[in-house]
Amino acid sequence: MPPKPDRTRTQDAVKSDTEMSAGPSRRQLLSAGLATGVGVAAAGMAPKAVAATADPAITTIQDWNKYLGDGVDARPYGVPSPYEKEAVRRNVAWLTADPKSSVNFTPLHELDGIITPNGLCFERHHGGIAEYDPAEHRLMINGLVETPLVFTMEDIKRFPRENKVYFLECAANSGMEWRGAQLNGCQFTHGMVHCVMYTGVSLRRLLEEAGVRTNGKWVLAEGADASAMTRSIPLEKALDDCLVAYRMNGEALRPEQGYPLRLVVPGWEGNMWVKWLRRLEVGDQPWHQREETSKYTDLLENGKARRFTWVMDVKSVITSPSPQAPITHGRGPLVISGIAWSGNGTIKRVDVSVDGGKNWRTARIDGPSLPKALHRFYLDLDWDGSELLIQSRAIDERGFIQPTKDELRAARGENSIYHNNGIQTWYVKADGTVENVEVS
Amino acid sequence: MLKFPKFLGALALAGIAISTSAQASGDVAKGEKLFNRCKACHAVGAGAKNKIGPHLNEVFGRTAGTIDGFKYSSAMKKAGEGNLVWSEETIDEFLAKPRTFVKGTKMSFAGFRKEADRENVIAYLKTFSETGADAKEEAMPATEEKMAAAAPAAAPRPLAKDAELPSHGVFHLGRRATDEEIAAWDIDIRPDGAGLPDGKGTAAAGEPIFTEQCASCHGDFGEGRDRWPVLAGGFDTLQEERPEKTVGSYWPYLSTVYDYVRRAMPFGDARSLSDDEVYAITAYILYLNDIVTDLDFELSKDNFSTIKLPNEANFVDDDRPAETHYTNKTEPCMQNCKADVRITGRARVLDVTPDDDNQGGQIE
Ligand code: HEC
Ligand code: HEC
Repeated sequence: MPPKPDRTRTQDAVKSDTEMSAGPSRRQLLSAGLATGVGVAAAGMAPKAVAATADPAITTIQDWNKYLGDGVDARPYGVPSPYEKEAVRRNVAWLTADPKSSVNFTPLHELDGIITPNGLCFERHHGGIAEYDPAEHRLMINGLVETPLVFTMEDIKRFPRENKVYFLECAANSGMEWRGAQLNGCQFTHGMVHCVMYTGVSLRRLLEEAGVRTNGKWVLAEGADASAMTRSIPLEKALDDCLVAYRMNGEALRPEQGYPLRLVVPGWEGNMWVKWLRRLEVGDQPWHQREETSKYTDLLENGKARRFTWVMDVKSVITSPSPQAPITHGRGPLVISGIAWSGNGTIKRVDVSVDGGKNWRTARIDGPSLPKALHRFYLDLDWDGSELLIQSRAIDERGFIQPTKDELRAARGENSIYHNNGIQTWYVKADGTVENVEVS
Repeated sequence: MLKFPKFLGALALAGIAISTSAQASGDVAKGEKLFNRCKACHAVGAGAKNKIGPHLNEVFGRTAGTIDGFKYSSAMKKAGEGNLVWSEETIDEFLAKPRTFVKGTKMSFAGFRKEADRENVIAYLKTFSETGADAKEEAMPATEEKMAAAAPAAAPRPLAKDAELPSHGVFHLGRRATDEEIAAWDIDIRPDGAGLPDGKGTAAAGEPIFTEQCASCHGDFGEGRDRWPVLAGGFDTLQEERPEKTVGSYWPYLSTVYDYVRRAMPFGDARSLSDDEVYAITAYILYLNDIVTDLDFELSKDNFSTIKLPNEANFVDDDRPAETHYTNKTEPCMQNCKADVRITGRARVLDVTPDDDNQGGQIE
């Protein structure tokens, strides 16, 4: 790791550069490194603006500046630059017995803004990815309705459409951190969240088409995959803001996100957003399915367990700097970037602390502030190169304040697994590396 | 290209077609039945894909660990590099004791102790290597035809200009679901017994089905092999440091067991159990959890709702908003909020970050 950057060292380096004549100078190595994109970490040692010798990135005529590149059809469906290899979903193999009943994580530390690219939205499957021809997809509505109906995808696309941006968070996001700091990276501690724009038809319209009987109080949503995922949803929510979506970020849903059709249950836990949605049944009682009894119930210290814990609480995390996104540029201007969200609506405010929660300052929310969507916040800091304990604390439009992890443990114990929205602390060291810690 | 459900049909047909012409010493028909125990993890036959284990088409003559796109254990890959080629003899040895024959294999299957079982399953597998190929091809078109004939009339039917619109709803989109269609998909069951099909089964009848179709993952006693879910035991652990949540220790309702096993298990071969088999397995899971103690106990539609699970009363409604950190909804502190800040825990100490070979923890 590069040593702590300070003025004396920097001046020494400059001096030795000019004095040394034999062999490549530090600066030459540095700029060569920069040109090939591998010297970024080393660059942290010297302020960038001091350029005594010319930068070959500028003075050399580069290949790409001289020769023609690929034509328009080289990549019919565009892919990221090969230099962005790090921006991929990753899993934690030891968590589950098999990848077909498992989860991977959104690389939050590689992203900015509020929209998650489709290929980076985390995946959670209970029976693998169901892949089939949308012409074979049907959506059935049955139970306490006037007319039980079957829709084809074409039928569904003929209903009036809506476009809505929502976050989707798995209830188990940060679940591994209940007993203490475990995983070094916000991808792993917080990466079971994504946020895209959905296009679809409101669930209310579909239910109205079948005609809900007055004794209907609940809706069971069912998937067509090998787990035939099912969840009970109160009718009130179903008629409020749920969507039956077939597009994300403008294009068709990705197979791993439930192509061709998924349920969108804004602000509520991700497991309810049934993928490969094939059936909606109206009933007068909940069904108590496996995913709302054995799983997705929150065990408390006294042995009781909360059920139907649907809403995702107010939460935030700093995505950069973070363990997978260390500071590589030395002291001076530092952008602290993070995301905040709440199942209750919009985020009213995010505060950031750099001293482990002793003092706080209000961060700047940039970009759209939409209900039940990710919010992007920034704190533009002049870093003096000393150690930091950085935290973020979100407050939502209903006044809910993100609690500390210790407050959550005091209320629930350590075995709840789900709904851990506690404040995250990152320990930024003088060399710019970052570690997942907890503080008093 | 064949879709998965079609392939299952094809497989059954292929099995029948071949059983008469088998040459190996084992019995193909018996082997096909025994293969049920492999099916959760392996597919074989036309269109077979890798599942938890690699597909087993053309496995005879295959160097171990060489199916493209399947993530083998390094043990299996090494075995292949050491020239392990699958043949009647080597598969026989492997199936006798998988973990002894290939130390470190990730195939979590105990193996077949009986030589006859191994011979029979090998005879069945042989029908999918070279010689079996013709028979399979013969079977395929028939299946395709059958599927086409059975295709429902649900594909979009454009309405002629003068055709009458359905009377339902606002947009008159979609069509009425038939009773047969609803019955095919509506298999959910509620705690009050609503949705239970006719049928019955004893714990004794459930035992061999469980051993054959469930134990390879969940263990003979529901104790859970490797990291597969535990189904039994864990009583009185809910307040302990590491609670073990099982049907007996945690689940509130028995209806969930029936519903879930019928819709989703065995993992990788869902919807393959008959209603009576699910009653029998559910009874056996009760037996494994000491909720019934008599193997002859018979579970049926009639007595189902009388069975209560011990932890039912311990589920409470969501009262998160009443927690003090939310009810004290005052302006949060901004300056000098605490006297001293110490680091009390570090991920480095408990480092289970991916990239390391650590094992432990669990996600639900
Ligand atoms: C619980 C899942 C599971 C069950 C049940 C199972 N297998 Fe496997 N099998 C695997 C896995 C996983 C591998 C890959 C092993 C490795 O990489 O170490 C494998 C590998 C194999 C291989 C080697 C294939 C190759 O490409 O090298 C054969 C042969 C095989 N299994 C046969 C069988 C047969 C026959 C049965 C039933 C009697 C069976 N297995 C039951 C999971 C299973
Ligand atoms: C190939 C391995 C495998 C086999 C074989 C298998 N299961 Fe499972 N079982 C799983 C997995 C994996 C899960 C969790 C699935 C998920 O993530 O949703 C599971 C979940 C379950 C659960 C719910 C556990 C809980 O705590 O929520 C029950 C009950 C169950 N299985 C019963 C059965 C029965 C009965 C059979 C036999 C008919 C069977 N399983 C066969 C792998 C298997």
